[in-house]
Amino acid sequence: MTALLEVSGIVCGYGAADEILKGVDLQVAPGELVAIIGPNGAGKSTLLKAVAGLLKLKSGGIALEGVAIGATSPRARAQAGIAFVPQEANVFPTMTVWENLEMGGFVEPRHTRTRIQALLERFPMLADKRRQAARTLSGGQRQVLAMAMALMVHPRLLLLDEPSAGLSPKAAEALFDDIAAIHAEGTAIAMVEQNALEALAIADRAAVLVDGRTALVGPAKQLAADPQVRRLFLGG
Amino acid sequence: MLIELLQVVLNGLLSGAQLAVPAIGFTTIYAVLRFPNFAVASHMTVGAYAGVLVNTQLGWPAGLALVAAFLVAGTVGVASDTLVLRRLRPSGPLTAAIGAAALGIVLENIVRFCFANDPRGFDLPVLRDWRVSLGALGQLRIGPQQTEAAAASLIAMAILFAFLAFTRSGRMMRAVADNPTLAALKGIDAQMVARRANFVGMGLAGFGGMLIGLDTSVDPLTGYRVVLPVFAAAVVGGLGSIPGAVAGAFVVGIGEEFSTIVLDPSYRTAVGFAAILLVLTLRPRGLLGERAL
Repeated sequence: MTALLEVSGIVCGYGAADEILKGVDLQVAPGELVAIIGPNGAGKSTLLKAVAGLLKLKSGGIALEGVAIGATSPRARAQAGIAFVPQEANVFPTMTVWENLEMGGFVEPRHTRTRIQALLERFPMLADKRRQAARTLSGGQRQVLAMAMALMVHPRLLLLDEPSAGLSPKAAEALFDDIAAIHAEGTAIAMVEQNALEALAIADRAAVLVDGRTALVGPAKQLAADPQVRRLFLGG
Repeated sequence: MLIELLQVVLNGLLSGAQLAVPAIGFTTIYAVLRFPNFAVASHMTVGAYAGVLVNTQLGWPAGLALVAAFLVAGTVGVASDTLVLRRLRPSGPLTAAIGAAALGIVLENIVRFCFANDPRGFDLPVLRDWRVSLGALGQLRIGPQQTEAAAASLIAMAILFAFLAFTRSGRMMRAVADNPTLAALKGIDAQMVARRANFVGMGLAGFGGMLIGLDTSVDPLTGYRVVLPVFAAAVVGGLGSIPGAVAGAFVVGIGEEFSTIVLDPSYRTAVGFAAILLVLTLRPRGLLGERAL
């Protein structure tokens, strides 16, 4: 079966002489949840930014369902069905919750109102605050809004960058439940997460990145049980 | 004494309403493109000339001439950005700002070459000031043309607010102003938004330029004479904030009028400098600088 996302040996960084990723490979199958874990500075968030089109590749390639997208714009990738939820600055702060959702569905403007209504039913907290500016939301509420914005386009691939960062344990738990529910509906997800144990608990597979390279790939439960992985990345 | 103060406040409000339109044009472009486009002055002049020409040559009334001023200045704004400033923006805001200042001088001289330095006036009837009695306090004098200009400003502002709040294009502009990276991730075309921001921003500059021309006359320096208070209004209100630019325009307008009580009117532009210095010292983000558009 053709992988939904195929990342092959990509090299990139934030400047001309900068190479954060030094040859990363990653595959995500349709409907699969892949956790990307590793130490700080390994290039996990950089990998998601490269897949979303925010960074220019120096070498390597990215393909979505076999179609090369490595040189396309973020807009083209959004139109192709990739939705990226950054760790920070992932909502439009002065716009209302409703307007944020509209912008989330920008590339698919038909039936916007119906889709927003469906998402407000799914996330009732957002319905209560639909006329409030996003900057007035708590950290957890913003993360939910950011994910709802991504779901406005029925993405083929959802990229989540540390969705639980800065959240209380209770808010993080609720968010992981939401992510698991989105995955259960068949949406493919690639998720970078510092809380590796939680990520591995809901993921199908995981990739371990070390110093800009893919060090390990395997079933999430197998990696979670691997003594070396536990010692190095999961706090024992 | 009280009636004189009321007169000063009224004059300040009328003058602030005129400043507000080009100030929100300037701040709209800043919010979306993140550089101060000093060519706003020459676009005010372009708009003023467009208005005066269609009024005197084609006999268009002031209302239609204002529409022409908006459309011509907006179109020139899009063309000048596409041909010149778009190439400079990747080099950073300082380079783009210097380029905009140079572009403004070029445009001003093109206007001078085409229409010479002679001031031109609108072909409109001269109306006597209205006098409003406040009983024992005395009388307020209100200029009909200034009042009409202020009303036109308020209408333009209301249309802009409605455009930003209720149209897809307006929301796109607000999204890019809020968070350009996220806007790109959501598939919003930054180049298209830049063109629309330039059209709206420079169109408003042209509209404001004609309002100022209606109050005085039109010559190649029409925009440059008021660009400092316009810039001051945007900075005082908070660069990138449209409600801030409106608030800043009224602060600068009223401040300028109050300054004429103690200073010779030729020093009134010093109020703009003073307002910029005061705000940058005490509240660098301006009155409402937290919000974009």
